[in-house]
Amino acid sequence: MDRYAEQARRVARAVLRDSDDADDAAQDAFLSALVKLEQYDPRRPFGPWLMRIVANAATDRRRRRSVRSAEPLDPGVVGGGPRPDVVAERSALSERLRQALAELPERRRLAVVLFDVEGYSHAEIAGMLKVPEGTVRSEVFHARRKLRTLLEDWREPS
Amino acid sequence: MTEHQMPFDHQPDTELGDALRRALEPAAHDAFVARVMARVGTTRAGSWDVLASWAGRGIAAALLVLGVGFAAGRMMQSTVGTASIEEALVMGPADSGGAAIAVVRGSRPPDASVVFSSQRP
Repeated sequence: MDRYAEQARRVARAVLRDSDDADDAAQDAFLSALVKLEQYDPRRPFGPWLMRIVANAATDRRRRRSVRSAEPLDPGVVGGGPRPDVVAERSALSERLRQALAELPERRRLAVVLFDVEGYSHAEIAGMLKVPEGTVRSEVFHARRKLRTLLEDWREPS
Repeated sequence: MTEHQMPFDHQPDTELGDALRRALEPAAHDAFVARVMARVGTTRAGSWDVLASWAGRGIAAALLVLGVGFAAGRMMQSTVGTASIEEALVMGPADSGGAAIAVVRGSRPPDASVVFSSQRP
């Protein structure tokens, strides 16, 4: 569990904006994985199997939350608000990336996080998200295009 | 994050990946692991509690069935037990009843002449 904890929390946070919610979802996923452990095929890699459970747990939690309360995004932050102080630059960039991620469709942000952050292959992600591999490529492409633009904008003025 | 990485490249974008990792980096790793492990412990204990309650109910049901079976057996025994061998012999033909009772109740083995005698004692 120690080995996959951070990865699970990051993937859950890609779905849920709130870090506490993400941790709750990651915890649910670990408990669920424990219950389903006999369904795991040891001939296959463990990571994708677990991350599928994490993604499902996070999606379920996000759905339950969205039923209770709709959480509107602040468009000023994503759409190029005032530049933060240089000292807080990194954390500000992180915040903007989180906001930008939150604006992406759920499958798109999961795909880009699983591919570019966690290093899973398109085929593995396709298995996790239960979509064709081509769909994963497309989702990663579109997510990157948006996020790269954000990063480029961030670098340009300096 | 250069042009050659566009659009459907098979390699992760390390710069974007690092930035996203920092953005999504969870805090308090040890606390999270401890929290999940504690939940795992209670979940296991919970499942054992469920199994134990099932076992308790099963044992109670088994004892109840045994008790009912025992009581039914005792009742049947008490009704059948009224007709003992002696009484069955007593209820035999009136003319041979006394001899039969003497043979059964006697502490010594019967005399063969009594048993095989055609005359009444």
